[in-house]
Amino acid sequence: MIPADPEALDSLAAEHVLGTLDAREAAEVARAIPFNAPLREAAAAWEARLAPLAGLSLPEAPPAELWDRIEASLAARGSAPAGPLRPSRLWKAWAAGATAVAAGLAAFLILRPAEPARMMTVLLTSRDQPAWLVESEGGGLRLASLNPRAVEPGRVQQLWALPPGATAPISLGLIPASGQASVAPGLVRPQPGMLIEITLEPPGGSPTGRPTGPILFIGRLAPARPS
Amino acid sequence: MPDTNLALDAAGLIRGVAAGEAGALRRLYDAHSSRLFGIAMAILRDRDAAADALHDAVLKIAGRAVQFDPLRGEAGAWLGAIVRNAALDLARARGRETPIDDPSLGDTAVAPEALERLAEAQESVRLRDCLAALEANNREGIVLAFVHGLSHAQIAARLEMPLGTVKAWIRRGLARLKGCLA
Repeated sequence: MIPADPEALDSLAAEHVLGTLDAREAAEVARAIPFNAPLREAAAAWEARLAPLAGLSLPEAPPAELWDRIEASLAARGSAPAGPLRPSRLWKAWAAGATAVAAGLAAFLILRPAEPARMMTVLLTSRDQPAWLVESEGGGLRLASLNPRAVEPGRVQQLWALPPGATAPISLGLIPASGQASVAPGLVRPQPGMLIEITLEPPGGSPTGRPTGPILFIGRLAPARPS
Repeated sequence: MPDTNLALDAAGLIRGVAAGEAGALRRLYDAHSSRLFGIAMAILRDRDAAADALHDAVLKIAGRAVQFDPLRGEAGAWLGAIVRNAALDLARARGRETPIDDPSLGDTAVAPEALERLAEAQESVRLRDCLAALEANNREGIVLAFVHGLSHAQIAARLEMPLGTVKAWIRRGLARLKGCLA
């Protein structure tokens, strides 16, 4: 049983992080963490408190062949770490969910007098909910929120593009609260296959110039023409 | 500040893994595998078992990279926690049969001067000072559990104390630590 009393809960979280719980108790806490926010937060706080102790373990090089074994296991799992940009699990979920939405929108867009090579995508949440419509426009991009939702307080949403073959995403700026945004031509050239993502970042945007927060929405630009 | 650089580096590489960047996981592994293998070795004290733990942990890291949120925790600590948990799971599955009378056990981590090896990062200095303020047995129990993955029973055997006393001491030590770090 996971206790409800905050003090007992904190004590359990501390012992879980410390590692002194037996196998059954540890498994129970691990199973509860995704569904129990107070337990999750208490465990995270204890991880942060005790993390420096990991510095007491003396570094030691692992066996040279370990990487090959890891790579083989990843390949067997169908997510090889090497090679060209591989579709992430999120992207696969996106592809499955977005096809129907995209087909409908593409049919709509093609009826308009379109400029050449018009591109679009729908950014989905991790639960396949359509959240943003992204369209190329005059060499730039235009964003419209399909399903406005509040941003976590004290954070901002930042837009990124990852051109095919590139290794680092390019920041396209912060998304205003209005839910409408345009990216001027020149910052990035929209092209088929370009990954567009929105991440949650600290106020003012990522301090590192690369995404640092979780991916909220993701999609891939495709030509807006019937297939 | 090498720690800051390391953290930024790890956070950037984890993002790369999440975005499916080619080679990001390999670079992360190359940069951190010695530290992470050391964490698993301190718990399992067996290279084959520690390799199994690191193998499992890297697969988890690859799968969970999209969930990593640097505003809720430092990247190096996130990696370390996944490896510790993989090593602890393995130690539990093996019935924690790791020898606790190993002469090397504890000497490296538990001696008071060993705490001096904690990094100079502000959090480490605060934790070191707060640990130093605990009674020696409380401190030793906490360090043995975290660093070497000892169970309550193993700590009780090593400190030659009744099990119930050890449990109560560790609980009290953790509560004091929390108050001190607050």
